[in-house]
Amino acid sequence: MTGPILAVSNLSVDLEREGRSRRVVDDVSFALAPGEVLGLVGEAGSGKSVLARALVRAVSTPLEIAAGKVVFEGKDILSLPPRALSAIRGNRIGFIGANPMGSLDPRLPIGQQIVEKLRCVRPGIGRAEARDKVLDLLARVRIPSPGARFHEAPFQFSGGMMQRVMIVDALVSDPSLVIADNITQPLDVTVAAQIIRLIDGLRQSLDTAFLFISSSLPVVAQIAERTLVMQRGRIVEEGRTAEIAARPRQSYTRALISRIPSIWKDVTAPAAREGEAVLTVDNVMRSYLVRRRGSFNAYNEVKAVRDVSFTVKAGENFGIVGESGCGKSTLTRLLAWLEQPDGGRIAFLGKDLSHLSARSLTEMRRSFQLLLQDPYGSLPSGMPLQRMIEEPLLIHGVGRAEAAKRAQEAMAEVGLDMELADRLPVGLSAGQRQRINIARALVLKPRLLILDETLSALDQVEQAELLDLFNRLQATHGFSYVFISHDLALVRRMCHRIAVMYLGRIVELADNSTLFEQPHHPYTRALLSAMPTLEDNRFPRPRYLLDGEPPSPIDLPLGCSFRSRCPRAQGDCEKTDPPLLALAGGNYAACLHRHEAPHEEEAVHVE
Amino acid sequence: MFVLSFLLRRLLQGALIILLVTFIIFTLLRVVPGDPARLIVGGMAPDEVVVMKAKELGLDRPIPVQFVSYLGDLVTGDLGTSFVRPKSGASLGGSSFDDATREERAKVLDLILATLPMTLQLAAVALALALLVAVPLGTLGGLYPGRWPDKLALAIGSICVSTPNFWLGIVLTLFLSVKLKLLPAIGYRGFSYTILPAIVLAVEIVPFILRTLTVSVAQVMREDFIQLAPIRGLSRSRTIFSHALGNSAIPLINLLGVQLGMLLGGVLVIEFIFDYPGLGLLTINAVLQRDFPLIQGIAIFISVMFVMINVLVDLIAMTIDPRLEY
Amino acid sequence: MADIAHENVAPRPAAKRGVTPTRRMLQIAAARTDFRIGLVGFAMLVGLAILLPLVSPVDPIKIAYGSKLLPPFPAEGWKWPYLLGTDQLGRDVLMRCLVGLRYSLLIGITTVVLMFVVGCSLGLYAGFRGGWVDAVIMRLTDAQLSIPMIILAITILGVSRPTVPAIILVLGLSGWPLYARVARSVALGERSRGYVLGERVLGASDLRIMLLFVAPVVLPPIAFVAVLDIARMMIFESILGFLGLGVQPPTPTFGNVIADARKYLLNAWWIATMPGVFMLVSLTCLNLMGSALERARNAVLRGEA
Repeated sequence: MTGPILAVSNLSVDLEREGRSRRVVDDVSFALAPGEVLGLVGEAGSGKSVLARALVRAVSTPLEIAAGKVVFEGKDILSLPPRALSAIRGNRIGFIGANPMGSLDPRLPIGQQIVEKLRCVRPGIGRAEARDKVLDLLARVRIPSPGARFHEAPFQFSGGMMQRVMIVDALVSDPSLVIADNITQPLDVTVAAQIIRLIDGLRQSLDTAFLFISSSLPVVAQIAERTLVMQRGRIVEEGRTAEIAARPRQSYTRALISRIPSIWKDVTAPAAREGEAVLTVDNVMRSYLVRRRGSFNAYNEVKAVRDVSFTVKAGENFGIVGESGCGKSTLTRLLAWLEQPDGGRIAFLGKDLSHLSARSLTEMRRSFQLLLQDPYGSLPSGMPLQRMIEEPLLIHGVGRAEAAKRAQEAMAEVGLDMELADRLPVGLSAGQRQRINIARALVLKPRLLILDETLSALDQVEQAELLDLFNRLQATHGFSYVFISHDLALVRRMCHRIAVMYLGRIVELADNSTLFEQPHHPYTRALLSAMPTLEDNRFPRPRYLLDGEPPSPIDLPLGCSFRSRCPRAQGDCEKTDPPLLALAGGNYAACLHRHEAPHEEEAVHVE
Repeated sequence: MFVLSFLLRRLLQGALIILLVTFIIFTLLRVVPGDPARLIVGGMAPDEVVVMKAKELGLDRPIPVQFVSYLGDLVTGDLGTSFVRPKSGASLGGSSFDDATREERAKVLDLILATLPMTLQLAAVALALALLVAVPLGTLGGLYPGRWPDKLALAIGSICVSTPNFWLGIVLTLFLSVKLKLLPAIGYRGFSYTILPAIVLAVEIVPFILRTLTVSVAQVMREDFIQLAPIRGLSRSRTIFSHALGNSAIPLINLLGVQLGMLLGGVLVIEFIFDYPGLGLLTINAVLQRDFPLIQGIAIFISVMFVMINVLVDLIAMTIDPRLEY
Repeated sequence: MADIAHENVAPRPAAKRGVTPTRRMLQIAAARTDFRIGLVGFAMLVGLAILLPLVSPVDPIKIAYGSKLLPPFPAEGWKWPYLLGTDQLGRDVLMRCLVGLRYSLLIGITTVVLMFVVGCSLGLYAGFRGGWVDAVIMRLTDAQLSIPMIILAITILGVSRPTVPAIILVLGLSGWPLYARVARSVALGERSRGYVLGERVLGASDLRIMLLFVAPVVLPPIAFVAVLDIARMMIFESILGFLGLGVQPPTPTFGNVIADARKYLLNAWWIATMPGVFMLVSLTCLNLMGSALERARNAVLRGEA
């Protein structure tokens, strides 16, 4: 083994603001061997992205490198003259960031931009040679038909595909080190898992070292041999990843690990309950017409929600999960009656919403409420807090004095300090804002709350507090909840029954324990296998993780829309698009071969 | 195929806009006080002559009928005939209604087409001057927000936008033309007569370019792909010239399309001050003489130009940025 | 119990309430040097324009051949109180400039208010309703934008009689489309924002959402930029005056004074130049304020402050 390729010693970065200076990276030292993958974990704001940029001397005011050395291949990057620095940056060190869609010029073909970069850092390479090299790498990161996509602009790629393009961009100059800063953060779980699998494969053939930065230890654990844990600018723990995950030495690392929700180990799934039906959704459809690019008046039909049916019972927590583009946002708008379905029926407390008069619909709106994801955009910025909570009552014609009284009660119930009553929402935390939203819904005494990713903008601690609040409110008021989320761990913890959506349709609908322990649909299994966990995944990736991406909702494959990615697909899947088919225990799966599940289970055990 | 369907959509929309403009102008001119028939025959003419003239011009018919017949002529490219201007282009006489020497009146379209090249020349020189000054300054301002180039751009922009064009025209004539005798100013007898009016027009355009460009450059420079460029290994000059400028050009190009009306408004006054024989001078004289067919024709002609230039602007923007669809 | 009573009695200090984005924009703008320069200059000029004609014995309209064509202050032969000299009829240039500024401001400000009110209400309505209402209003603005404002204005004023209300009406009506466009695009953006959806779910009517929630968010930023338009409208007013289509003499306006003075340019340069300088200074002040407000607005909307 040769010496380290990168040796960082006593690196410190200061943040200068309004005459005061704060240390955001504090005396960091570590080394990275050739071909090694080193993980770096820390919460948002721990300084890990600043560290990543400091390593390539790309920090600008108000940040400033205060002290330290970054020795890369024998040269100190921090004291190199600019010319020598540009021979390293982008050439010997590649960089991939967290925003793949914004990383390249949006106007120009991606191929052209990568060729431009390569010829900038390696002036000796000819245009044709550079082009071949890029095409070769595009194929190696498994972008379908690289020859055609070479000429496409970033907006024609999906997030996952664009992240692959950025991997090509980083690797095209054969760097000996790649810094990957939070590269899976904006991606869906299955796509993120694919990217990690890809990088793992590439680095074995390329002999490139990676500094893999993420806010999630389970993500890092999938790829890094060694890991650094960062807290408030300092490295607090360093060691083999498996070792850190199993036996953390520092209290911060222990806290970090304890906050990772477990999926299978020691989990008691909330058991399904019985009750009258509150919300009934029958064969609901919704599609949009989108004008076809470059046509005069031809339209494409995007089927956003296809034939969705389910019921939510009184006092029940119902979960809807799926990745981006699966139609869950459209379904949310339908459930909240912000849009009307093209077909099918949504009935609340037995009354079909489309048959209600405007007046009785307004009346009915009191009993189902929606809590939105973005805690910042969802509150009117110029209104004092108590007035905001009175607003729903005023809309429904309650008198001022009565409204004020009930608003104050609601504030107390959701845990908002009365001090805040005449304050504007500026400067309130995300958690406090969501409490305001809850209070606004609560004053109307609803029966059903629809939570659209309501908790995903909150940190773990705030999330836990609000979940407790939800449980408390359910116990006192008997609410039903619909959780719409991409977060499987949240759904595992809260929901009695769960629906999994794929391309606008529910592919599996089952109670909590069946869905997480014995799912019948291959897509559910793929989702579970993609979940980054520290515990042993019941559905190991080599076997269950899918390739590729969902087909475009504009031209769905004939027959089962999942068949193009399905490991079980057979001849009959091309002809029949299976509806939700009943299974034992009141569960459903939209798969013609749903009973093969147990056999696959055995097959895993045999291997 | 893509371009064709785009053109078809836009031209249909444009036709609708032109129709609306025609309607608005036509109604306005019929509603406001002032009898065109009397204007033509002169104030001294007896009433029966006025009525006869009105009949001859079809002005006695109901307004909707007049409008439809006007539209019919419009489709064939006939914008009508001037009330007051003779075909030879000589000065208009204050002659009486029975003056036999009065020549045949000039066609509106001919009058417009005769003056248009002069105005285009003025506009082109002014635009070139303005771009020459404002693009470098605006770009620098956007590259260094809050620093001296930005402040300079802001100051120059504020002063230019605060300068009344007719006043600047007068002052520049006084100093550059009368006192220093550097440039000719009044009338038109050669290209050098374009320069002074063009400078005044450029002063009017500069602040708009400056404002748009500083904002859009500063915004593009904050984008991730520009921030990442040095880490990817691109040099600063390459980042600015091949990525930042291209992306900030789009708002500027769109602005030129939308602000065309303002540009023409400026041309109008400036041509009047410098007695520059272009479309603007023609317009002002038409208004002052209440030459309704000419006013109407010019307004429609300008809105046609407006539509065409905006289609062109969008086509250019689309080739710069493939994301834009219309 | 005592706590609650105490709470109801003691008013909370304003600072603790937090500030609305609009207040934040004003604060940022007020902290900028260019805004302060503009504000002070503008306030002085406006104060002068309002007060001086009230207290001064000099009449801006009265003809006095005895004191005609006096040069302005430092030049030889000037006479108190004619600081900026007199014109060919012996009228005080300074006083005429101040009266001109009065008219200019009156027309500029009312015009912009008219444009703002008409344009923003139509634009908000179009953007919020969508559908055919939107299509009709937008085609109308397209049509109006494609006729240069000045042509429209001089056409109408040229064939009718230019009075102050007519000028305001014409300028205001030809300027509304830009406001309608901006208000519509912002309203379109707000329509899908969380707080609007939130109100919908609570059962609020469109009108309530628009007036109570969307307008207070959307209108102040547009109003800030409208300050720049006051300057633009003042220039338009002077152009109309210059062409003889503005307020008619003997009332002095920047436009008609400069137009008159063209004939005396060679032997009495100040009669045309002084009103121009006056305009230039007051408009620069106004523009400095406007662009400072615009930049503050951009900073807040971008989320930097």
